[in-house]
Amino acid sequence: MTWTQPVLRIAERMISASCRRLPEDERAGYYKEWSAELPAILDDASVRLPILRAVRAFRYAAGAFTTTPYLRRVGRGALRSRTSGRRDGAVPVRLAVPGFRVTIGLFVWLVVFTAVSLGFPQPPGWPATFGLALAAGFDAFCIADIARRSQVRYLPKWAWVLICLAQTPGGGIAYLCLGRVSLARSASPSPAQQR
Amino acid sequence: MKLTGPLERVLRVLVADPAAPHYGYDLMKTTRLPSGTLYPMLARLQQEGLVESRWEDQRPDAGGRPPRKFYQLTAEGVRAARLELAAAAPAGRTRQVAARAVHGTAGSTL
Repeated sequence: MTWTQPVLRIAERMISASCRRLPEDERAGYYKEWSAELPAILDDASVRLPILRAVRAFRYAAGAFTTTPYLRRVGRGALRSRTSGRRDGAVPVRLAVPGFRVTIGLFVWLVVFTAVSLGFPQPPGWPATFGLALAAGFDAFCIADIARRSQVRYLPKWAWVLICLAQTPGGGIAYLCLGRVSLARSASPSPAQQR
Repeated sequence: MKLTGPLERVLRVLVADPAAPHYGYDLMKTTRLPSGTLYPMLARLQQEGLVESRWEDQRPDAGGRPPRKFYQLTAEGVRAARLELAAAAPAGRTRQVAARAVHGTAGSTL
């Protein structure tokens, strides 16, 4: 069972990186809780293929990057709601989930830009192919994200899809920064939200 | 509290067996929710006093594994969940989803 060791260590690293966003007094507890689930995932006999268990462990750890910003915001919102009488952990709308995803977006943009400019004199070199593949992957990621959500902000879904396709890295980055509804927002009541 | 689809699934699983320890990963499996959805929800429910969490006791047969944390409905949580679920029951699609979630737990505990 040596293959679990590297997977476990990488997933633990991811969890610890995401816990760094929490206030210091909460970090250790959440890290302990989430990292204790990893062995259970990696030994889950109901998933037969080891590789699928590893994927599950990574997906579990990646979820911490969504959870910790929420916990931090709710922590702050809870203090405020006690004074203003706001109910059910509703958090004011804010314009950001960027951080991690935007970093990835900018990185993709940089790679595509270098790849295209390197490959330009002799068009179809490997850097250009690599860049195109990355760009296509990023577009697919954005469009999948749009499709998954029950609502997006500012524009209708089809408009965001068009934007993502029209200006490859830029449109996707714009969507991730502006159009994505943060978890706290989608959890608060809204009449337009049916599902 | 607004009863969204994922929240309903989590409540159904928790209320189906309020005394059992529900671990994070097991809840993810039975509700088919990703951890990034489940944990914020559990945190919110905890803040509202509907769910409580505890560390399991270290078992001697755990083989050096760290103790895990589990979640349960509080007494108030059981009451609130039953009320909310009863109010939500007539919706067709969500009922199917919930039935699947409940069935999933029943199957795994038997």
